Amino acid sequence: MITRRIFLAGMTGTLLAGMSVPAFAQSNGDRAAAFVKSTGDQIVAVMRGAGTTDQKRKVLGPIIDASIDVDGVARFCLGRFWRTATPDQQKRYTDLFHQVLIGNITSKLGEYQDVRLTIGRSQPRDDNDVVATTLERPNNPPTIVEWVVADAGKSPKVIDVIAEGTSLRLTQRSDYAAYLTQHNSDVDALIKAMHQQLADGKS
Amino acid sequence: MHAEPSTLSAPAAANVGTAVLAKTWRWCIFAGLLAVVLAGCATPPPADDPEAVADFKQTNDPLEPTNRVFYTINNGLDTVILKPAAQAYRFILPSPVRNGVHNALTNLGSPVALTNDVLQARPRRAGDTAMRFLINSTVGVLGVFDVATDWGYPVHDTDFGMTLANWGVSEGPFLYLPVLGPSNPRDTVGFGMDMAFDPFTWVGHTPGMQEFGWARTGLNALDARERYLDPIDQIKKTALDPYATFRSLYRQHRQGEITKMRNDDRATIPVWFPQPAAPAAR
Repeated sequence: MITRRIFLAGMTGTLLAGMSVPAFAQSNGDRAAAFVKSTGDQIVAVMRGAGTTDQKRKVLGPIIDASIDVDGVARFCLGRFWRTATPDQQKRYTDLFHQVLIGNITSKLGEYQDVRLTIGRSQPRDDNDVVATTLERPNNPPTIVEWVVADAGKSPKVIDVIAEGTSLRLTQRSDYAAYLTQHNSDVDALIKAMHQQLADGKS
Repeated sequence: MHAEPSTLSAPAAANVGTAVLAKTWRWCIFAGLLAVVLAGCATPPPADDPEAVADFKQTNDPLEPTNRVFYTINNGLDTVILKPAAQAYRFILPSPVRNGVHNALTNLGSPVALTNDVLQARPRRAGDTAMRFLINSTVGVLGVFDVATDWGYPVHDTDFGMTLANWGVSEGPFLYLPVLGPSNPRDTVGFGMDMAFDPFTWVGHTPGMQEFGWARTGLNALDARERYLDPIDQIKKTALDPYATFRSLYRQHRQGEITKMRNDDRATIPVWFPQPAAPAAR
């Protein structure tokens, strides 16, 4: 009897040890998933929490800057026009891009009040890790949202969000590219339009 | 976004609807010819700017000026006809009723969906569609209640454009069609084939069937527009160039649905049959 009990205890110990091994040998995919989970939880907490839209906007700013590679996404969205822009234009554009992004996210606050985010599996794609999640809102069919995470090993940052197969940064890039093509590739015209957009959004 | 503003007057007065549609079409064809003459084709960037040329090729919208004219026309028709109608539809009918209408319309599309599932050689998808049609037409009271989803037969997108994609036909240049909206040559052909696959297309000569067809088309337009009321408003508000944004979204969305269909290789062995070894977890 005693031997059996010891044997069982030993087995349990082995099993537990076996189960905890992956926690130590964490892959980039797991890290990316954990990163998306913690970021998602933070954002969802702000969205569901109390406070006015302005207060929420202030809280969201730092979270977004810490978790999204906004500068990198901004550069990506300007495409080939980034290199033709002057350093001053680049700086003004990037600053505006930050504000537009935060404005776009906070304008959806009401819609996502009762949002629920379930983390799925992650897999490598190109040099990044893609974490699949399911976003659920009352009265809406669940949406598959993929988060593209760069540099999951050291300082993970989200570089793209793909909702039901549509990439946010690709869509934004084609929007800016089309606008610039229609306006003589003038980055100042784009900056002016973004200013206008911000002003419209706040009114 | 598959806007069909001209079909709104359909349910009660089919004749009026026909007249309006015929008029709209005549006007669209005229506007289309005018647009092609006035706007013509997009001018490619100079060849000494390889990055601009690459972007131009990737955008793959050689008829852009013409497409933009149609976008403006459709947008105008939408603003004065379809959008207000969809808002009224949302205002008058409560959400459960609208969902019932949507379910019934989806159910009516089952024969076309099944045909395409089979042509795409996707047996599990065909099974889902067939079971959905059987369950929802009976237990779901003529398709009004989507019981099948709860029973493990979820809905999926399928059409002949996707079938052609599965057969290796590429999408071709972007097209913005009058009334119908964003498309490409492949999906335009697909749209026509889907109408040909639809049994209701071929029974339209018996009394009442024509009215039924009109009502269905009108409701389809209302239902689709109502479901997209908020996303379209959002895009028009946040995009600097809504036309380009819709173009990008349409393409990405189609590609996403095609990839989903291609990756749907669920096993076709019944659960009670000895199963092959499960594939290694990815």
